[in-house]
Amino acid sequence: MDAHTIETIAGVIDKKMTRQLKQYLDVCARCAICKDACHQYVGTGDFKYLPARRAELIRHVYKKYFDSAGRFVPALYEARDPDDNLLDELYESCYACTGCRRCMYYCPFSIDTQWIVAVGKAILIAAGRGQEMLGQLADAAIFKGENVEMFRDVLVSGFKDIEAEVREITGDPEATIPVDKHGADILYVALAGAHSIRPAAVIFHEAKVDWTISLFEAANYGYFFGDAEKAKLIAKRFMEEAKRLGVKEVVVPECGHAYRVADIFYEAWTQEELPFKVSHILEVVDRFIKEGRITVEKGRIQGRVTYHDPCQIARNGGIFEQPRDVVKALTDDFVDLVPNRAEQWCCGGGGGIVAIEEMRDVRLKSGSKKVEQLRASGASVLACPCENCRLQIEDLNQLHGLGLQVRQVIDLVVEAMPLPGNTAPRA
Amino acid sequence: METYLAITAIWGVYLTAVVFFVGMGVRVYQWATTPRSPVPLGMFPKPETKGARVAKMLKDTFLAPHSARIEPAMWIFAMAFHVAALGAFVGHGRLLAEFPVLPELLGEEGMNAFAAWSGSIAGSLMLVGVIYWIARRTFGPYKNLSVPEDYLLLALLLGVVVMGDHMRFIYGGTIHADTYREWFLSLLRLRPQIPEKILASNVGWSLGTHMLFTDLFLMYFPFSKLVHAIGAFSTNLTRSE
Ligand code: HEM
Ligand code: SF4
Ligand code: SF4
Repeated sequence: MDAHTIETIAGVIDKKMTRQLKQYLDVCARCAICKDACHQYVGTGDFKYLPARRAELIRHVYKKYFDSAGRFVPALYEARDPDDNLLDELYESCYACTGCRRCMYYCPFSIDTQWIVAVGKAILIAAGRGQEMLGQLADAAIFKGENVEMFRDVLVSGFKDIEAEVREITGDPEATIPVDKHGADILYVALAGAHSIRPAAVIFHEAKVDWTISLFEAANYGYFFGDAEKAKLIAKRFMEEAKRLGVKEVVVPECGHAYRVADIFYEAWTQEELPFKVSHILEVVDRFIKEGRITVEKGRIQGRVTYHDPCQIARNGGIFEQPRDVVKALTDDFVDLVPNRAEQWCCGGGGGIVAIEEMRDVRLKSGSKKVEQLRASGASVLACPCENCRLQIEDLNQLHGLGLQVRQVIDLVVEAMPLPGNTAPRA
Repeated sequence: METYLAITAIWGVYLTAVVFFVGMGVRVYQWATTPRSPVPLGMFPKPETKGARVAKMLKDTFLAPHSARIEPAMWIFAMAFHVAALGAFVGHGRLLAEFPVLPELLGEEGMNAFAAWSGSIAGSLMLVGVIYWIARRTFGPYKNLSVPEDYLLLALLLGVVVMGDHMRFIYGGTIHADTYREWFLSLLRLRPQIPEKILASNVGWSLGTHMLFTDLFLMYFPFSKLVHAIGAFSTNLTRSE
């Protein structure tokens, strides 16, 4: 590897250096307690997926360039220059990491391996080895942000189609999907696809909410790609929209990382205080049910229902109970997975890995714990408020013949609402 | 033996003290002067108040309840080691001054017997802990995670513990804390000398070697992952920020 690239890589570490990172790199005891926490290591037994090993690659370079002891006696720490082998392994371990932070939960020093992995991704990007698919998706999202007028007509006509379905379901010919509505209470930032908009629109309509829909999606491939600047630009699209429309609340859809980005990262990235609050759709739905603004009936959903905590919503987002309360309002036959909440196993589909075709194999293997958990629960319906989780668990469902219905929570909510057009579940 | 002790138990100790405290100071200074990440890295569930955060941090640091759930065997050995190390540390306090209260209760004989018992238990637990770690590192499925630093630390630690145990088990009956205290206090008064009683017995070789390993271990400490001894408080506090 040429001196220039090495310099660039060291420069990335320098730029990303924070007190937390330094402490994480300094204190890890290499005790490997984290090994059994990581679904990828447990599912594959492959050393490169051991959480501390992912961090160790960065530590080797850190010791060489940022630590006097490492410079003095490199052999003690295996301190070394980055080379192609290191970058190859870094690519596989960093882009596979789902950022679930289950390793951090169990580490005696609470070392945030995801935070170190983020530096790994930044190194790869600087060395021209960022994951291509994620990079392209991120750039496309940024392009859309800069040229939204180009997309407006297509988007609005799509909303009209969904609006027709909402009218059918609610039986109200006046039901709308408001676009660009100034002064609305809620800006709903959906995912790409009718499935994320339709049930939310039905719920907002029934709850008589003054809402409007965002022209942008909540998903953030810049974040998965590992480029904080891109991630910020992508989230900025709807944050600026919300400011422009003067809404009181931004509601993100059933997506894990979008919630963490919007609620936890964005203000820190931009160092600005947002003039509205950020909520996850299930916090809002829980509120509606508890306030009696929407009616749901038990008995409409057949079979035992269980719930999967998406890592970015639960352990990393702090929402544990509201989605459970929502699901429990729909059925008397609810059972939790074991373990659950903060200790919930990652399904294996986070961090953008579902979009990385070459990592399909490890992704499916890494679902072994989730499959065990689901089998043990005896449930036939899984409520799961994250798109990546659902894609992964649906794959596991097919592969292992679990016979499970993998559902969005808001779909189940709409199904449990006594509405005229509410017959069969929709795709 | 006199020269050996002069190197390891006198000048080595001074050098170690300087390297250890300056090294730790520099490490803490480096941490303190590196800006914190603006992004909060906490995870949930997370206590609301500052006091509760600190309480959780202390619990996570001293009891590591999460680690206990995921790998109980490791937790038991690590706990045993660290608690024994703390016990041994407190026990070494007798080098400074006789403990209050206890000797009055137990009498001098009783106190020495108590020290023999507690020291033996702590010394044995530490030995078991170190051997377990060495084995775990050498034969575990993730042995490739270890770097030479890990083995160096464990080797030095093994030396410290074995020689400490040697003094405890072989010479424990003849040389007591008061003799070592004479030596240790002379170091503190900057008028170092080795008591006749030590020079006259083979225990001098043990003490010298115990101190050799201790010096090396503590001199290396600030440059190793063992800075977790103070870093853990900070990283565990980050967990609930
Ligand atoms: C206060 C919180 C502390 C926690 C949570 C903690 C935790 C740990 C853990 C998880 C290990 C890993 C064992 C392994 O190597 O596999 C370890 C090793 C060790 N710790 Fe601590 N420790 C703490 C404080 C201390 C202190 C105060 C000392 C001071 C002497 C210390 C000395 C050591 C030593 C000597 C090892 C063995 C090193 C090795 O395995 O290479 N620790 N500790
Ligand atoms: S559990 Fe924590 S300290 Fe132990 S190896 Fe993993 S990251 Fe390092
Ligand atoms: S964040 Fe999750 S996927 Fe990444 S190393 Fe930790 S446990 Fe494994």
